[in-house]
Amino acid sequence: MSKATRDRTAREKLAEERRLQAQRDKQKRMLGAVGAAAAVIVVVVGVFVFVNSNRDKAEDFVGALAPTSRASDGSIVMAKAGVTSPVLEVFEDFQCPACKNLEKTSGNTFKQLAADGKAKVVYRPFRLFQQTPLKENSERAANAALCAPGDNWVPFHDKIYAEQPPEGKVGFSNSDLISWAAGLSTPITGDAFTQCVNGAEKSAQVQAMTDYALKVGKVESTPTVKLDGKDITNDAFVPSDLKKAVADAG
Amino acid sequence: MVTETRRAEVLPWITTAARIVLAAILFWAGWAKVTEPPALQKQAVEAYQLLPASLTGLVGYGLPVLEIVLAVLLLVGFATRFVAIISAVLMAVFIGGIASAWARGLSIDCGCFGGGGAVAKGQTKYLSEIIRDVVFLALAVWIARFPRSRASVDGLLGI
Repeated sequence: MSKATRDRTAREKLAEERRLQAQRDKQKRMLGAVGAAAAVIVVVVGVFVFVNSNRDKAEDFVGALAPTSRASDGSIVMAKAGVTSPVLEVFEDFQCPACKNLEKTSGNTFKQLAADGKAKVVYRPFRLFQQTPLKENSERAANAALCAPGDNWVPFHDKIYAEQPPEGKVGFSNSDLISWAAGLSTPITGDAFTQCVNGAEKSAQVQAMTDYALKVGKVESTPTVKLDGKDITNDAFVPSDLKKAVADAG
Repeated sequence: MVTETRRAEVLPWITTAARIVLAAILFWAGWAKVTEPPALQKQAVEAYQLLPASLTGLVGYGLPVLEIVLAVLLLVGFATRFVAIISAVLMAVFIGGIASAWARGLSIDCGCFGGGGAVAKGQTKYLSEIIRDVVFLALAVWIARFPRSRASVDGLLGI
């Protein structure tokens, strides 16, 4: 082998070595980028999930419910004596899953705000749904809720939500509604109640409450939560935001 | 040879355009969801009736922010192929979820850009939702196949 050939071979080897090294470096950078991207994804998503799952955790309710009574328009007022503001209105449909979610997340906060005298809570159930079978489910539940006495209403309200049928399924049968009422810790019973439920005796008032919600309240979807007339539905889904909104209004 | 050169010049620009379009779509989808109350994000996932209750929260809260993070990474062009593959998998999962809801006769909105949950029978838009997601999937696959692009962090890093 001549010297020239040896030199050329050595140069080629060196070049080849450099090329491989560059390739390895590039691969290293690529792996580094993938690792960094994966880390960013995991950390950002993880932190966000953690924060959010804490944000919509339901609070505990302690003490006794504020007194409840039925107003002439069928709505239920939950407030301590003398508390007239701020007014926290809950427009809801017993068949609506988002309403059930609101109840699950913030139901206790509404009760606590009323019990602590920080707000006057007004429940305005109505019938938002227009299509079968949701409409009929809504109608029966709203009617039964109107048949129930105003001073023992909230436990029945909670029970109806707990038994909400899946969407698209027939539910809230009158016989179920009557037996759920009878099973409450302070039972709702009696012929008048049973007849009222079975005979859909409050259907005119359900219609009136629906008209009120849609026309006067300008409610477009359920749930809608209003604080002194202002829509705060998004805040209402986060107990801490709900309390803050009420505190700011009061 | 001329066409080869042209191809090498044009391809990275196509990928850059695909990156921007897919990033905009993902960002829009994530933002529309993330600004809704957490309980409703969860509910949109529950409507599919596919996941156990213990997982709906994780997906409901995690998915919108995942979309936003992927959008940002795509926009700046960092770890492009990796991010495109994740985006493609995500789109495939969406298509599968919508198809499954359709096959099971559920009447839901896909909740792709916020909203979600039940809709009236006859109000479903499964076919158009799936076609739309297939287009997005194609974008992601393109980027994964030709990840080299102009105006990217990857380019600056020499990847």
